[in-house]
Amino acid sequence: MFRNYFKIALRNLMKYKFISFINLFGLSVGLACCLLIFTYIRYEVSFDRFHKNADNIYRVQRTFNDPETGNMSLELGAVAPPFATLLENDFKDIKNITRFIPNGPTPLRYDDKMFNQDDVYWADERLFEIFSFDVSKGNPSTALKEPFSVMLTEEAAKKYFGGSDPMDKMIRMNNQFNFKVTGVFKPLPGNSHFHPEVMVSFSTLRDSAIYGEEQLRTNFGNNSFYTYLVLPEGSDPKRLEAQFPAFLNRHINDGGPYKASQYTALQLIKLTDIHLTSHRDDEIEENGDIKRVYIFSAIALFILLIACINYMNLSTARSVLRAKEIGIRKVVGAGKNELITQFLCESVVICWIAAIMAFIFTWIALPWLNSVSGQQLSGDALFQWNVLALILIFPFLVGIIAGIYPALFLSSFQPVRVLSGSLKVGGKSISFRQVLVVLQFSISIMLIICTAVVYQQLKYMQGKSLGFEKEHIITLNNNVALNENYTAFRNTLLADPNIKNAGRSSRIPSGRLLDASGSQISRGDSLAPTKADIKVVSVDEDFIPTYGITMLEGRNFRKNSAADTSSYLINEAAVRVLGLKSSQDAIGMAFQYGGRKGQLTGVFNDFHFESLHQRILPIVFRQSVGTDGYGNISVKVSGTNVPAALAHIESTWKKFLPEIPFEYRFLDENFEELYRAEMRQGSVFTIFTGIAIFIACLGLFGLSAFTITQRIKEIGIRKVLGASVKDIVFILSKDFMKLVLIAAIIAFPVAWYAMHNWLADFAYRIDISWGVFILAGIIAAIVAFATISLQAIKAAVANPVKSLRTE
Amino acid sequence: MIKITDLEKIYRTEDIETVALNKLSFEVKEGEFVAIMGPSGCGKSTLLNILGLLDDPDGGSFVFNNEEIAHYSESKRAQIRKRNIGFVFQSFNLIDELTVFENVELPLIYLNMKASERKEKVEEVLKKMQVMHRRNHYPQQLSGGQQQRVAVARAVVNNPKLILADEPTGNLDSSNGNEVMQLLTDLNEQGTTIIMVTHSEHDARYSHRIIRLLDGQMVLENSLI
Ligand SMILES: Nc1ncnc2c1ncn2[C@@H]1O[C@H](COP(=O)(O)OP(=O)(O)OP(=O)(O)O)[C@@H](O)[C@H]1O
Ligand SMILES: [Mg+2]
Repeated sequence: MFRNYFKIALRNLMKYKFISFINLFGLSVGLACCLLIFTYIRYEVSFDRFHKNADNIYRVQRTFNDPETGNMSLELGAVAPPFATLLENDFKDIKNITRFIPNGPTPLRYDDKMFNQDDVYWADERLFEIFSFDVSKGNPSTALKEPFSVMLTEEAAKKYFGGSDPMDKMIRMNNQFNFKVTGVFKPLPGNSHFHPEVMVSFSTLRDSAIYGEEQLRTNFGNNSFYTYLVLPEGSDPKRLEAQFPAFLNRHINDGGPYKASQYTALQLIKLTDIHLTSHRDDEIEENGDIKRVYIFSAIALFILLIACINYMNLSTARSVLRAKEIGIRKVVGAGKNELITQFLCESVVICWIAAIMAFIFTWIALPWLNSVSGQQLSGDALFQWNVLALILIFPFLVGIIAGIYPALFLSSFQPVRVLSGSLKVGGKSISFRQVLVVLQFSISIMLIICTAVVYQQLKYMQGKSLGFEKEHIITLNNNVALNENYTAFRNTLLADPNIKNAGRSSRIPSGRLLDASGSQISRGDSLAPTKADIKVVSVDEDFIPTYGITMLEGRNFRKNSAADTSSYLINEAAVRVLGLKSSQDAIGMAFQYGGRKGQLTGVFNDFHFESLHQRILPIVFRQSVGTDGYGNISVKVSGTNVPAALAHIESTWKKFLPEIPFEYRFLDENFEELYRAEMRQGSVFTIFTGIAIFIACLGLFGLSAFTITQRIKEIGIRKVLGASVKDIVFILSKDFMKLVLIAAIIAFPVAWYAMHNWLADFAYRIDISWGVFILAGIIAAIVAFATISLQAIKAAVANPVKSLRTE
Repeated sequence: MIKITDLEKIYRTEDIETVALNKLSFEVKEGEFVAIMGPSGCGKSTLLNILGLLDDPDGGSFVFNNEEIAHYSESKRAQIRKRNIGFVFQSFNLIDELTVFENVELPLIYLNMKASERKEKVEEVLKKMQVMHRRNHYPQQLSGGQQQRVAVARAVVNNPKLILADEPTGNLDSSNGNEVMQLLTDLNEQGTTIIMVTHSEHDARYSHRIIRLLDGQMVLENSLI
């Protein structure tokens, strides 16, 4: 019986080639989208699961909050160095604990091989007990034990040592310290939330020249130590978390008015949850986002739905052509159930063919989609058993969903009516078909609106004035070796007319503002602590002019050889949180920040230090006491000859720092990168929206062809009676255009709601304008009208005598 | 085999009511060959469709094989139909997408017969109808006479007790028509009951008995034997 069904399904597929093309194309693209999203989701949820212990590993995280209001001021994925030892001592439940610090780009050198090495981690040997690394050389349990040991990935080893054996060779860090190579490991796979390339032994940090034993034991303020612990199988992390407040109060006592647990807290997050759900201020690498997974899933399902609707519409519209077959089958003994089975078989067969095509489409599209979306999905991901199982099972489900309505509709034909030729397809079926068309166009219009809003927001972010000049600024990593002769370095730089200015700072705009201390401001004769949460950046006296930041009141730091350490500059937001009436009032006021007394000497404008996702925070600029506070050098160059400026910077660098590799970045590129996720989302949206509209239009094209064929006699008569081509195109398009209008009315509020939520992630965002909605409606209407007109004009210009004779 | 009493069928459209069958009663015994005649629109096809369980009457009683089936559900009627009744239509009604063999095989498929058994039966009946050499052709590739022979083959392939034929020769020339009538006569002689609607007095002469209808009522019943 099924063979007979398949046979007729295939023959119908061949006979009605155009309809089959629309159905197969739509369904295969829909399925391909689902397949792509499925592989993407599979990848996203697979993060960090390859560690044997994955289910029992937790990261310790820390938050800071305002003790009065409870408002979060900082949410960190890392904690302070003393916690690891203290936690392990206090809680017997903790089976193992390790920590590491990503060091940022670090100058490393072996012989003449000199690189600014990314992904250098300070790590201890217990890292290998907790995480599943593949150590190919050296002993994992001892390699990171001794101070000044280093391990590298195979690629990194090749970079420095070429083909020769790296073991026991010495690598020089920052032209200051020598590390002995004690091991080589395989890099972690792409679906890991951290990727060390080089690991230097954590015990080295005990050396006071680098960090110091005392600091490790007592510094609760340096929260850059990513700390991971292992709990026993099946133990509840909540139980441990519940004991953290008491733990904090036991160990942190800073003599302030609040208990530690009132302004800070520790949390545990499961290792495997980090990638999709953790969005701390200091994530090691850019994490994924569960929201993005939802959005893309929804879009893939939308496209599939549109394709299913095409199938439903075209199958029921085509029913006129199949009525005779159905009638005959009933006459020779087919029951309703047998016919339903037959039609479901047909749709499943079509979906299976579509699935095979989808597989091929996906295979072809994967590298291209990777480049657009920044994913790293490999074609191999398609040949996993569960992907293949999906390809077998999914068409079955889709076939049934798409086929059930046509099957019920077709199988209910009465053989007597059909065979006597008195069957009229109309009434209910048409109105249901109209509902489906409305649904398709609602989705399409929604997607158009979403795409437009995403792009508007992107354009807004890229075009918004940041409150300083971000163009033509080149940033360099400062180096300790420059401390003594920085002035000479700067003067050499400025000797070239292409270099306008240069300044140093602890952080640069486009980065995060994560450093803060307590502040006090004069109240009466004495200083009183404030509750203001003010972020601090150490800057030298050239920073403000280099960036073109506007001084609103007072003065910049004084320019002389000794640092102007008693001056503080704040932004307008800080003026407000300090409760000062105006910027003028601030000037001259006694102010203490992080224990250093001084006074407010200047107020600068509120500018966007961080991305537009963040609000403008209160900031204080101070000068670094030592010289090590400045990690970055920003050089303002003239826009007329950037290559010459760069060449000069490089030669100056080489002159002063021959042992340190030269590396630079353009600040405006940093800012672009902050919106990379949105930019990708925008391109993926555009692609999917295009596909959705195209499939919807294909369906409309097929459907209008049918409807118009059914009205061919009416068109003939109208023409005989004097209707023009224009009149007829109008009559034929009118009904469909009405549907598009209804679709727009449905799509508007849904799209508004969706984009309103999406925009909520941005502190600075556009208002959704009505223009976007109108535009989306008009685009949909034009595309739909063009589609229908193709058919309508053909029918309208046909010779009426012919169409009348066919009756 | 068939006994109808006061059978009624009324078609209702928006503004008019057409009484297609008006309290019609008659009986057909097993092994009979009955012709139904009458002017166009008198209700012949309507009657045949009800007798074939394709349509249900609006009133009266319909006893088929000693079973009252006037108010059976569609699925129950389909069960009885596929085991007992074969149809032949004026316009052949073959499925264009299926070959001759597949068309004839169809009723057996719905009886869940095994493939090997089906093949045997279909080939046997195709031979009998002299269309075996066309078994892999599609309907449009055959002449009208051949198509109707295929239709008859399909009607008889599952050995139904009753064959209903609605103007089986209507679209055929006289020689092809006579051939089809001969086939029906042969089947009748082998024991199959046949009820045939026809406009042709010539064809009616092949039957044992003629029922004449006018406006949904029987006006004359004459036996030829
Ligand atoms: N689906 C229907 N809806 C309304 N009226 C119908 C329907 N089918 C048949 N009729 C009417 O019922 C009456 C009987 O129709 P029927 O088809 O049985 O006639 P017939 O005797 O077979 O005619 P012919 O010899 O032309 O085939 C006619 O008046 C016809 O118009
Ligand atoms: Mg008739």
